[in-house]
Amino acid sequence: MELLYKIFIAPFQDMAAAPDFLMQVLWEGLVSGVLYALIALGFVLIFRSSRIFNFAQGIMVVFAALTLVGFHAMGIPAYVSVALTLVVMFGLAVGIERVVLRPLVGQPDIILFMATIGITLFLIGSGELIFGGENKRMITEELGIPTGAFEFNPFDGLLLLEQKDVTAVIGAVALVIGLLLFLNKTRMGRAIRALGDDSQAALSVGISQRTVWVMVWFIAGVIALVTGIVWGARAGVSFALEVIAYKALPVLMLGGLESITGAIVGGLMIGMMEKLFEIYWGQPLLGGGTESWFAFVLALLVLLFRPQGLFGEKIIERV
Amino acid sequence: MKTFAKWTAAAAVALGTASAVYAEGHGASMNVPNLSYRTGPFAATGIPIMNGQADYFAMLNARDGGIGGAMIDYEECETGYSTEKGVECYEATKADAIVTQPWSTGITLQVLPKTNVDEMPLLAPGYGFSPMADGEVFQWAFNMPGSYWDAASMILQEISGGDLSSLSGQKIVLLHLDHPYGKEPIPFYEAMAAEHGFEFLPIPVGLSEMQNQSAQWLQIRRERPDYVIMWGWGAMNAGALTEAIKTRYPMDQFIGVWWSGHNGDLEALGEDAAGYRAISYNAPNPDAPVLAAIREHVSDSQAGEGEMDWVFYQRGLVISMLLAEGITAAQAEYDTAVVSPQQLRWGLENINLTQERIDELGFTGMIAPFSTSCADHTGHSGGWMIRWDGSTFQVDSDHLMADQSAIAPLVEAAAAEYAEANAPWPTQECDG
Repeated sequence: MELLYKIFIAPFQDMAAAPDFLMQVLWEGLVSGVLYALIALGFVLIFRSSRIFNFAQGIMVVFAALTLVGFHAMGIPAYVSVALTLVVMFGLAVGIERVVLRPLVGQPDIILFMATIGITLFLIGSGELIFGGENKRMITEELGIPTGAFEFNPFDGLLLLEQKDVTAVIGAVALVIGLLLFLNKTRMGRAIRALGDDSQAALSVGISQRTVWVMVWFIAGVIALVTGIVWGARAGVSFALEVIAYKALPVLMLGGLESITGAIVGGLMIGMMEKLFEIYWGQPLLGGGTESWFAFVLALLVLLFRPQGLFGEKIIERV
Repeated sequence: MKTFAKWTAAAAVALGTASAVYAEGHGASMNVPNLSYRTGPFAATGIPIMNGQADYFAMLNARDGGIGGAMIDYEECETGYSTEKGVECYEATKADAIVTQPWSTGITLQVLPKTNVDEMPLLAPGYGFSPMADGEVFQWAFNMPGSYWDAASMILQEISGGDLSSLSGQKIVLLHLDHPYGKEPIPFYEAMAAEHGFEFLPIPVGLSEMQNQSAQWLQIRRERPDYVIMWGWGAMNAGALTEAIKTRYPMDQFIGVWWSGHNGDLEALGEDAAGYRAISYNAPNPDAPVLAAIREHVSDSQAGEGEMDWVFYQRGLVISMLLAEGITAAQAEYDTAVVSPQQLRWGLENINLTQERIDELGFTGMIAPFSTSCADHTGHSGGWMIRWDGSTFQVDSDHLMADQSAIAPLVEAAAAEYAEANAPWPTQECDG
């Protein structure tokens, strides 16, 4: 009886007793969700256009952030460093397409997936060789990102909104809007979508697979840079950032591998629900640490009823 | 045929000469592998320690020709702090080694039984399984100069002003990495909480949450603990400090273990983290003579600018010095330049680091005197509280000692329990 009370009554009493704290939990969940969605977007974009599950997305976040910090450490102004990092990410996209993907055109998906593991190992090795493994400070202030906090007192309590978190949310929303406009309103965007929908048909009407692949890997690089800036501003830039890519996996399972909407909704759902569960159920009942598995359990539950994810396309195999 | 015979003879002479020159040039050497991690999520904290370890042996080789006439062959095997890779590294390096340095509590726990079979000393300075202090049960393992339970005890001593009963009614949070290392102090704190009447609340941080600890710090905000003690490593340290600042948790009530007091983590936070403290078995001393010796004799140090003044780099020096002292003791006991793993075990069991010896080695002010014995493989040197002043760590307390009257019964019970669970477990009898 006591257990049922702790599961069904006590958490809601806690929420009602401290609504300011509940708002803080929801805000932190929203910020986490936005960050998860950002990582998942990089995966989705590449999968949509090439059916490749890009294992290297996590290390691309680290590589982009380290490149940015590295350029700035050489005395280059912050925004010029951003531009130079984008040039590097474009070069990386061209290199991956030319050296890794082009020779593997037509190979089974698993081969291309394995190739992205190779890219991951290459980026880890070269990144550590060039930048070293030490923790580095993200150039948050130099990029004009405010570092203070907005303080509110709802219900005579305290709600703190970090300005860099607010900036991250606004930046992520702008990035998603820009990405959707690009994919839906430009020729290149439509070419990317066409190649993902039916590669043979797209090739037959003259769409260049090479150009599209370079473009999507570059866009994934841009997303990686934004993600690296946002996450790096929270706890520094190091190879530990690579670990956050794991958080994108349940988001992809939940939202579907080929849906941008799914990545966003999945990210926000997981971010907010795992935070609520951890604070009101996980910590009091299980001693905490539920964030490591909650998202995967949630995604598995969704897969039981919708194997393609909430927003994934239903796959019909005709024999 | 004559020509062939001439060439064969010439080749034999050349080979013999080359072998003689090689032997003369290289002399006797001892292999001391280090299961290091300069890559992966924990690299930022591993690198300065490994640099310090490597530089100390490089200095001894360059200045003294090694230790007691034998060069030190220091080699690293990269684990990335992965327990699986660590076990592979142990197996790959043990053949020629006289010691293993596992560099992770997870790896230590995995190779601990193997070292009994392989008769290989396991050196885990300030980490590993705290009951390894019991030399009668853990013949081959050494965690000098302090165990995690020593660290946990010294932190309680400091925040209670030496009287743990004053903590009665208070709430203490342990923010820890959800890993064997992070869980290590829990049994000690639970015992102390039960005995002294304070509330103890462990809060785990998963590997994938190290850089986003908002849930953990929301709980800390809700619980309003009197103190937060951190058992963090790698990116977790910077993540926790960032969240503490964001949550406005008082820095002077936030204390870390010795692996959570890294200049590199704190430098990124600067003044915002001023007041944060960590217990440390080594005190930073930029003027120590050993640093001058390294600057003079080690031309290819991998240490970055200012790194030699960091607590972690200097801890790397201390760790290699402890191993060197074990080798020196074994050389004297067995009257040989090249010691075997079995002889080194005796050496590590008979370290006598007096203040005079510390001064002689150039480590003045960096570590407190201690000695090991057959029964005591930790030595319990004690330590100091170091405080971040916004730009560097400063010693912030008198020399602290762990309360062995509280720790010893727990060590004895846990060691016996481990031996029973892993029976047949070889033990040794110690006099006294």
